Amino acid sequence: MFEGPVQRVVDELSRLPGIGRKTAQRLAFHLLAVDEVDARRLAEAIVQMREQVRPCRRCFNMTGGEECGICMDPRRDPHIVCVVERPQDIPVVERTQEFRGRYHVLGGAISPINGVGPDQLRFAELKDRVADEQITEIIVATNPTMEGDATAMYLAREFKPLGVRVTRLASGLPVGGDLDYADELTLGRALAGRMEL
Amino acid sequence: MAIRNDQGIVLRSYPFGEADRVVVLLSPNRGKLRTVAKGVRKTTSRFGGRLEPFTHVDLVLYEGKNLDTITQVSIIEGFPRLRADLDRVVAAGSMVEAVDAVAQEDESSLRLFLLLQRGLRALDSGVVGRQLITSFLLKLADVVGVAPALEACAACGRPEELATFSFSSGGVLCQRCRGDRGMKLRPGLTEYLAALERAEFTDLPEAEPSLVSDAMGVARRFVEYHLDRSLSSLAVLG
Repeated sequence: MFEGPVQRVVDELSRLPGIGRKTAQRLAFHLLAVDEVDARRLAEAIVQMREQVRPCRRCFNMTGGEECGICMDPRRDPHIVCVVERPQDIPVVERTQEFRGRYHVLGGAISPINGVGPDQLRFAELKDRVADEQITEIIVATNPTMEGDATAMYLAREFKPLGVRVTRLASGLPVGGDLDYADELTLGRALAGRMEL
Repeated sequence: MAIRNDQGIVLRSYPFGEADRVVVLLSPNRGKLRTVAKGVRKTTSRFGGRLEPFTHVDLVLYEGKNLDTITQVSIIEGFPRLRADLDRVVAAGSMVEAVDAVAQEDESSLRLFLLLQRGLRALDSGVVGRQLITSFLLKLADVVGVAPALEACAACGRPEELATFSFSSGGVLCQRCRGDRGMKLRPGLTEYLAALERAEFTDLPEAEPSLVSDAMGVARRFVEYHLDRSLSSLAVLG
């Protein structure tokens, strides 16, 4: 459709998730129109990310060095660990500014239907950390889905006997929501986890 | 395009687009249903937890060209106790996976639906263990028409001198028909399998642990052989 190099960029962009042919064309022509420096910066950023980023050796967050910034921060409590499914979940918890411990990225959740069992996730690494870093509390921040709940139950089963406190993010009503639209499962959990005022 | 009502048990779902999910259900009238739930991954979704796996739901669907879109959901049966225990979640996962493997789209599947409903109810009411899975798999094989012959020879129908079990022949073989087919099963195993196939889920026969474990192994391999795919949930169960 277009001359070689333009078509190549359009083809590459349209392979990205959520980007169709039309959007890919718009982006490609935008990259042609902007200063060459800007286009080059994008290209270099992608190359650099692919070359440098690797999992943190402690928590498996994505980082440019050996260990991620959170693990190296001396102000963070090393004895409390928040367990998440994916590295993308860490900034979400960080935005709350409520958590001052470290993280552990499992790399997914136990999903019997997809054949993902405990062996495919980073439970063994977490076990090592519990022993090495004297972890006293594990906060399970997996998704409130069947898979996330199964993972939480497994964590409780494995780590409670070791004397570690295992807690789960509360599930309940979304702020600004309407009680009318709450489903039985969510409302049931909200009731079970109600708080004294 | 029309609006229609249906019901079904949620088998599984997977992310679709930005915040949607494709939800796969088993409907008693229409077999396997693939539907889209818009915005269900957002915390403000009004569907909330109603479309989690194993939930029996009543649906209002807007018919689309390929996939129908869910516009309303209400829970008929949520099986809340089942969700609170890891072993039961894994067991329910293997039931749902096996059902997903055999269910067809646009085909009435009342027997399969009722079997899954009974299985999930048994798990929810506290029955758990390998016997339940074994019994479920054997009943499932019966519903789809590949029940193993356990009390008479699969080749000639004679009930005497049953010697070996053959996956390809579809069950036990007698001394005369066996040839070099099949493998020898430990004493009591075929009888135990037959008892599990007949029994209600709430009244399953007990046996020593190794026999229970062997029975599940045979039922699993039999179903996997005839479905021509492996059941990964059972690998998680170990």
